[in-house]
This record gives sequence, structure tokens and C-alpha cells, in this order.
Amino acid sequence: MAASLTRFTRRRARNTALVVGATLLLVAITHLAETTLHDIRFVTGWTLFGLIVGLALFDLRRRIPVLPLGSASDWEQVHIYGGWCAVAVFLTHTGAGLPDGPLEIALWIPFVAVTISGTVGIWLSRVLPKRMRDHGARELYDRIATRRAEIAAEAQALAISSARDTGSVTIADYYQKELSAYFQRPRNALAHLTGYQGHLRLQQQQIQSLHRYVDARGHKILNRLSELVEIKDDLDYQFAAQSALRLWLFVHVPLAYGLLILIAVHAVLAHAFEVGPS
Amino acid sequence: MSAETTAISRPRRWDNPFDPDLSTADVERILAAPVFRDLDPNRFPPGQSLPDIVRNDARINRYQRGDIVVLEGDYGNSVFVILSGKVNVLYGYLPEIGRPPRRARRPFWNALAQLWRNSREIETRTLSPSARAVHMRANRGRAYLPDIERVIAEHSVTPLEHGDMFGEISALSRGPRTATVFADTDCELIELRWQGLRDLRARDPDLRERVDHLHRTRSLLAHLSESPLFAHLDEATIALVAQEIRFENHGTQELFPTGELPTESGGSLAGEPLIAEEGSLTDDLIMIRAGFARVTEHLDHGNRTVGYLKNNDVFGLEEIVRQWRGNGSVPLRNSLRAIGYLDILRVPAVVMERYVLPTMPEHLLPVAADTDIRATPVWKRDESATGIEQPLVDFLIDERIINGTQSMVIDLDRCTGCDDCVKACAATHDGNPRFVRQGPSHDDVMIANACMHCVDAVCLIGCPTGAIHRDLSSGDVHINDDTCIGCGTCSRSCPYGNIVMVEIADKAGTVITDRETGAAIRRATKCDLCAGQLGGPACQRACPNDALVRLDMSNPGEMVAWLHR
Ligand code: SF4
Ligand code: SF4
Repeated sequence: MAASLTRFTRRRARNTALVVGATLLLVAITHLAETTLHDIRFVTGWTLFGLIVGLALFDLRRRIPVLPLGSASDWEQVHIYGGWCAVAVFLTHTGAGLPDGPLEIALWIPFVAVTISGTVGIWLSRVLPKRMRDHGARELYDRIATRRAEIAAEAQALAISSARDTGSVTIADYYQKELSAYFQRPRNALAHLTGYQGHLRLQQQQIQSLHRYVDARGHKILNRLSELVEIKDDLDYQFAAQSALRLWLFVHVPLAYGLLILIAVHAVLAHAFEVGPS
Repeated sequence: MSAETTAISRPRRWDNPFDPDLSTADVERILAAPVFRDLDPNRFPPGQSLPDIVRNDARINRYQRGDIVVLEGDYGNSVFVILSGKVNVLYGYLPEIGRPPRRARRPFWNALAQLWRNSREIETRTLSPSARAVHMRANRGRAYLPDIERVIAEHSVTPLEHGDMFGEISALSRGPRTATVFADTDCELIELRWQGLRDLRARDPDLRERVDHLHRTRSLLAHLSESPLFAHLDEATIALVAQEIRFENHGTQELFPTGELPTESGGSLAGEPLIAEEGSLTDDLIMIRAGFARVTEHLDHGNRTVGYLKNNDVFGLEEIVRQWRGNGSVPLRNSLRAIGYLDILRVPAVVMERYVLPTMPEHLLPVAADTDIRATPVWKRDESATGIEQPLVDFLIDERIINGTQSMVIDLDRCTGCDDCVKACAATHDGNPRFVRQGPSHDDVMIANACMHCVDAVCLIGCPTGAIHRDLSSGDVHINDDTCIGCGTCSRSCPYGNIVMVEIADKAGTVITDRETGAAIRRATKCDLCAGQLGGPACQRACPNDALVRLDMSNPGEMVAWLHR
């Protein structure tokens, strides 16, 4: 632990202070407007629209790496803390209440979903990489299937050879009934993401319990199988974590674009109704 | 789908001579010139005759009085022999002629257009017969010393004339030029590129000895003039000191002498010859001239790595100063070992005491070290002298990452695996990523398989055409795709496996083949630090999680700052 504040800590403190400051200013302005009977919903509405367009530009930046548009990490900071500002403006704009009309509901739901998915995404991005480090070497996502197939092939070869080398079918049987399916596909994704390790313990115990039925060569095979189960479990962890790190973006980004379209529709309608009666 | 295949003649070593306009008369002139006329043509086999080497790897350059031939700090791998006229060598003074413009950056719209112009197929090439062949000619343009009389009057210069050779230090050490050379009169110089010099040295032992002797004596002077420890001495004293200095070469050319990574830290020292042992008498000051050295201290039954030394670092200075200050004989506090090959200079302690220390500015004298360190329990000594924690420093040395000036370091605690870095790399390289987001790792630090643009780029040694070369001013290692003949020598020599040989395809995606044998044509590819791109390496800019950085390992402070960010 560094004695002085790290750059990241200072950055977090500064950005949080900026968001809190901006929110307080917004609350003050709203309060002032209310006491002087001004309707500033158009102001907050357009501010929100502008903010969300600005936030969406981050996606554009990620897609145009060939231009010197600043570092993506700076953009991400603006995106995260700009997002919190958008939440504050949203709450001001909606009066922090639940929606009533159908269009309001249609806007409210994606906004909340985008906010939640973004928050979850940030949390996952900060937590899962560290946890992955405790689960074997980092494997490239695209290579996980190949690696799994290699492990499965080794386990299968061991099971087949066990019948020949040990003169008993105990291991081959166990492999057939339990392990074969385990090695074929990714398993226990939810358990991995919640940090539950019971399945691995159970499997290891089962393998351990077979030791009494086999000879010395069988012990060796069981030990290796046990190692392979653990390696495969780590691989499953990598797969679950990396899938989650991809999945939240598949929710967050399309929803955000959908939200933008709905906001545009909402703005047009709001203006139409404002000038309509005249 | 295209049924046609593109077939070409397999590119060969001398498809692109150093100077395509070199005439037969010029070749004969070179062969009759000093140095070359002493070579024995019978030592060269028919396919690689002496005239062939000269015709393809040499050229004659003409300069006017005041023209700069080589500039200190530039990278270059040619040697020069004076054919006519005179030149002057200037040490330790960098004339203000302006640095050459950086590699031309593409215009903004051109960069943007990459987004849709990038090929859909992998590793496609447009084969143009007028390929930029003479890449080595991409000199700095004509650079000129504006005030030649004043420079000669105010700075000490060493004149060289007809038949003299220079440039061998950079050629042999693959480092930057150690001095500036400018034309004293109008002159003609033979320039022999590294590929030619390498072959001549290999076949002619007399030339080898001649070049190596020049290298030893001149690099000694260059080294002394660069070192702040000797900067306060006058020329006569430097000459006296130089006479007493001994050269030594240690270790092997291989960075990994056993061909494998060391398995555990005790074993890692096995292939690293001991140069100076802890506890022995401090007889010499050791100066590192080239390569890397490991500094260790005994700890229980093993050795703990305290740090590493590189070019221009010294070992034993503190002990020598304490001896000189009257502390009797002070034994060495640490041991020194060669990592891979190591060239050192030994300056005897008596020479230091007599000529150097008495007049050395106080601020250069090392402060007495914290002698209590040994009283600190082992488990508490968690940082080496580099400021990097001990296991990480062991890892960086054991894996030879210390060679990198642009190592791609990834913080596994922050890397989410989004691959934005890889996509950015592909987007800037016609759809082909030039690194793999995997590599050796220690705890949360991973060194990705991307070219590290090494201090000692051993990949440069064997290339037959000079396609892989250093950028003249930045020293970054680039591959000229047009002159790469796909032999794979560089890829086999890179100890880190950071050069990938690829099969090239035409625009339709069909692999281009050799007309004669039908075999695929290959090219060497690697990270080029996004040369010519706007904004520098795209990988680093693209990481949204602050997880990826390019670090210079010769400066541990950079690593420390990044680790504690
Ligand atoms: S190719 Fe390999 S040896 Fe050459 S500079 Fe890059 S990392 Fe170093
Ligand atoms: S493959 Fe490497 S060594 Fe061979 S020509 Fe190309 S760059 Fe040079």
C-alpha cells in the first residue's frame, strides 16, 4: 500500500467531487426555479439529451482508434462520471417520481436499465479481473474452447488407459458417468460468478473416494484427473468471468442507443404539445 | 471467389542493392581502395563473391565541406571508409542542426479512411515492382554544420583521412552513433552496410581483427567521454586512464544461455558467469559497456537479486571511494554476473584513486550506503534497489524483459479482456493485429507478446537484406515489408518470439506463391509502434481501463510509477 494517495485515488476523489458539485448546483437551480415559478423541465430535458449524446460518443471513440482522439481511459472516466451526472439530471427532470404515462414508462425503463447495466458493468470490470488472477493463467477468450478440448482429450485418454493399465473399470466408469460430460462444456457459471466453490470440492471428494479401489497406477491416474478437474474448473471460471464482461456491454450499448431514439421522440412530442394549443 | 492465384518469383537477398546505380567502375574503385584491397577474394564462395558483396552492400557517398556524415545519437549500422578527402570526428558536442523530422505522419483524413479501406482479408499486399527498395538511403537528408570554423576552433576534433574507417561502434553494438563525423573537405566515402560488413568479417579474419581492434579502442574513448565520472578530466589524463583500462567479454551471445527460461530463482543464475564476487577485494571499478549484468547479494543458501546494470552503469564505485577515504580495503558488497553476453571495462582502483577521485565533483561521489540493510529480516526486504518489489524484479530479469525500451505491460488486475487494444492494433495495420495479448506474467503484471524495441535488438544481426532495421533517430525497430524476403532469420533470433512470419495474400485473399516451387511467400511482421500513425501506439490509447502501457525497462522508475499509479 503506497503511503501517499495513488493517482487513481486522486482521480476518483476529484471526479466524485465534480459530480457532487454539479449535482448540488443543479438542485439549487431547480429549487430556485420552483420558488420563482419557472418551469425548467425543457432545460433539464435538453441537458439530459445532450449528456446522453455525449456519453454515447464514447462508443464512437472506441470504434475509431486510428485518430488521435485522446486516450480511451480518459473517455471512460468522462463516461462514468458523466453518467452519474445524467442520473442526477434525470431525477431532477422527472421529479424523482415514478413514471405515469406510457411514453414516460417507455423512457423510464430503458434509462434505469442503462444505468443499472452500466453500474454493473463498471463493478464487474473492476472486480472480475482481480478474481480471474486467482483462477489459473489468463486464457484468451477465443482460445478457451480449444484449451478445454485439449483437457477433455487428455482426461479421456487417461480414462481409456486406466482400464488397460489398472485392470479395473472403476476409473473408466466414473469418467463415463461423471467426468465426461463435465469436461465437454463450460460448467457452473453462476457458481463461479457468485464465488461458490462447492462443486469443485464435491468433485474432488468423489475422485478422492475412488483411491481405495485402485492400485498404485490407478492412484497416479486419479491424481492427474483431479488436477485436470481443477484446471478445467479454472478455465470455466475464466469463461464465466470473461463472458460476463462481454455480456453487460451487449445489454448496455443497444439499450443506450434505443434510449437515445426514445428521448428524441419524447423531445419532439414535448415541444409539439407545448406549442400545440396556441 | 477468385480461381486465379498470384505467383511471383521468390524475393532474394540482393534484389534491392544498397545503391542500384553503383557502376562496375565504382565496384572496381571500391575493391582497389584501402581496407577492401587487403581482403583475400579466395576466401569468398562463388555465390557470395567479394565483388558481389561490394556491388550489393556498398555505395560511394559524396560530401561537401561541412556536411554531416553521421550524427551522434542517430542509429545506423554502416561503416565508412574514406576514399578521398578528410573528415573530422567530434566527441561530446551535438551541433544544432535540428533533429530530422519524425517519420511522416499520415494526414487526418487518410487516417480516418483506414476504417473502410482496411482489407477484409488477412495479410494482403499490393505487389508493386517499384517498391520502395532503397530504404537504407532514407537518410536524414543533407545536414550541414553551419559554423564549421568555430566548431573546429572550440571543440576538440579528431581528423581522419584517406583509408581510415569509422562507424564500426554502432555497426557492431547495434547502438546509437557515439560521435558526430563531418566532412572537413569535399570528400568521397565508401559506405558498407551491416550485411556486407558481417559477411566480410565472417570470411576474413584479418579484417575482423582490424575492425574489432578499432571498435575496442574507439569505444573506450567514447565510453570515457560519455561517462560523467571522467567528464572533469583533461584530455591528457583521460589518455593516461585509458591506457590502464582492461576490456573483458563475458557470457554468451544468447540471452537465454540454456535455451530455456530458468525454472526457479536459484537455477536462474546457473548460466550467468560470475564477474566479481561479494566479499572479494575491490581491485577495479567495473563499467558496463554493452549487455546486461545482474547484481546479487548472498542470502542464506542462495543469492538475492539487488538490481541490474546496463550500458554506462558502474559497479564497485562506492567501495573504491570508501577505500580512498581511508577505510582500508573494503570488500565488494555485492556480486556481479553477466546476463547473456556482457562487455565490461575494468578501471584499476589505483588509477581511480590517483587520477579520477581527487578531482571528482563532490556530488558524483556516492553517499555511504545504508549499512543496516543486512540487519533487515529477509521477509521484510521486499523491494530491490530498483524500487520494484523483489519477486517482480527477479521475473523481469529472468525473462530478460529488461532488454525492452517499449515493453507492452498489462495490468491483469485491470485488464477485462475487452480486446480494444488488439482491435485498435488491427485497425491501424490493415486489419492485422501485430501482437498477441498474452505472454509471461508475474502476479498482476503481464508482458504481452509485442516487440519490445530492445536495447540490444538481436533480431537485427542476421537479416540478409537489412529489411529489419532501426529508425535513424528514434532507434525503434522496424521491418521494411518491401525488402523482407521472408527467410525468417529475425523471427528465429528474437528471444521473445515477437516476430511472426505470415503468408501474404493478394487483394482477393489468395495466398501469393513462389512461381518456381509453389510455396507460399512469407513476410516477417511485428509491432512497429504505429509508426506514421497519428497519436502514437494505438494499443495504449485504446485501453479504456488504464491496463496497458508501453514501458522503458531500462528506467525502473517508469515501472515503479506505473505500479503505484
Ligand atoms: S523483435 Fe524481438 S529482439 Fe527484436 S526488438 Fe523486438 S522484441 Fe527485441
Ligand atoms: S524475414 Fe526477417 S531476417 Fe528475413 S528478410 Fe525479412 S526481416 Fe530480414
